[in-house]
Amino acid sequence: MSPHGVVDRPGPFCTIQDLGRRSGRRAGLAPGGAMDQRAYLWANRLLGNDPAAAALEITLGGFALRFAVETAVALTGADCAATLDGVETGAWRTVRARPGQVLRLGYSATGMRAFVAFPGGLDVPAAFGSASAVVRDGWPGLLGRPLGAGEPLRWRESERTCPVRRVPRGLVPPNPASLTLPLIVGYEWAEFSNADRERVFAAEWTVDPASDRTAGRLAGPALSSGPRVLDSTPLVDGTVQVTGDGLPLVFMRDRPTIGGYAKLGSVDPIALDAFAQARPGTPIRFTRADPDALRRALARRERFFGIRHEP
Amino acid sequence: MITFPGPVSALVTLPVAPDRDGIARVLDLERFAREALPDLRATIPAFNRLLVEGSPHSWDATDVESRLAAGAEACLAEAPGVDAGEPVSLPVCYDPELAPDLEAVAANAGVGVAEVARLHSGTTYAVLATGFAPGFAYMGDVDARIAMPRLTTPRPRVETGSVGIADRRTGIYPAAGPGGWRLIGRVPAAFFADAAERIARFRPGGSVEFRPIDRDEYEAAGG
Repeated sequence: MSPHGVVDRPGPFCTIQDLGRRSGRRAGLAPGGAMDQRAYLWANRLLGNDPAAAALEITLGGFALRFAVETAVALTGADCAATLDGVETGAWRTVRARPGQVLRLGYSATGMRAFVAFPGGLDVPAAFGSASAVVRDGWPGLLGRPLGAGEPLRWRESERTCPVRRVPRGLVPPNPASLTLPLIVGYEWAEFSNADRERVFAAEWTVDPASDRTAGRLAGPALSSGPRVLDSTPLVDGTVQVTGDGLPLVFMRDRPTIGGYAKLGSVDPIALDAFAQARPGTPIRFTRADPDALRRALARRERFFGIRHEP
Repeated sequence: MITFPGPVSALVTLPVAPDRDGIARVLDLERFAREALPDLRATIPAFNRLLVEGSPHSWDATDVESRLAAGAEACLAEAPGVDAGEPVSLPVCYDPELAPDLEAVAANAGVGVAEVARLHSGTTYAVLATGFAPGFAYMGDVDARIAMPRLTTPRPRVETGSVGIADRRTGIYPAAGPGGWRLIGRVPAAFFADAAERIARFRPGGSVEFRPIDRDEYEAAGG
């Protein structure tokens, strides 16, 4: 089957992502999924796709895609000064392309990850209900590796055209110079010393360059390493774990399902989107979260984007 | 004890040992939770704990807490459920050339290498948790005579199929990578070649048996 487009340049790290897999958690599978779910969801919404349609997550840009069909794509996330045949397109909008045209993304000036969605979503295999690539989990094919140069792509509704649509300006998320992450305290929180617990909300960390799809690592003041945990404990999205060096890390999409270090609690799942776009060196603080306010925000998001969860 | 680690999740820690009996009670609680709580999206049992994740549209922490507390009390009052599943059986070659800690574990126990193999393969293990990596199972309980704590400094590379011991637990590395368990044997790598099979092999509460094989049989299986 002939491709609808070919990736000329994948950039430093480009993978196929969707909303991730939930059913495999019991079997120890990483959730996977788009690092910045808000940007990913907007890309599919602009095209009128299913909210969980498979799309490209492009880390830091440096990407080029040559189209073989007339089509429309949606571009969101980090600002990579995208061009179509050399003409700037802007982002957070759909872009129409003709056969032979090339969509190029430069290296991102702000943000970490751009998303490109396709009509009907990418036509790729899924495992445990998701097409998300988790390199660490050793899946075969594109479920377990980043895209290479020359990678052929097909999407599910290549014939579908789409009007030019843009995300309303007021809804395009800003790129803040610093982030405050709402933290639900939990797990071994009560077993940390008073001094450590005060420090969590008083200190400022920065995003460490060693951060990746598994965890956002923080550099800065060390906690007194916390209580000893005897058995690995099931993790939730955004769990904040304190490793042996006393530095917190925030677990992201490719996280393990259980963890054996002391944990402070978890970050607001919606705040993980902005955190996924925070570049190394971005100042990070924690503020105490109201769990029920976060639950209501999650419910609003699912309604807005039409996210369904099969039992 | 019930805590709420996320906006739509609850973590129950049962006041029982994290052993075969403990995971059986946790699985009883998981069955209860699946019946009693609406819209559950995921459950993760591990050792003596159960994580339940619900829907933001229907989650009511007070209601979840009272139902789970009642469920936990009921599970603790009865004998734990019996797992009727067939045990997973895997061949293990206990050979010092394939298992860098086998002789140290034998010396620590004051027995020969063959006795370590006999003691390790003479137990039917229960899967106490899965995770760490897909297809990795924490199994127990290892015979106290050959139990040993994990290495202080993990090895940078452990080969696929390596069978390790950490205290009273045993596990098999489903893929090569860093690891700190004491390595006493090796399952032929062919058993981990297929991703779907590797991931689905173990389930919490299931039984696992090890069948000792000699080096010839190990090599015949592809090494």
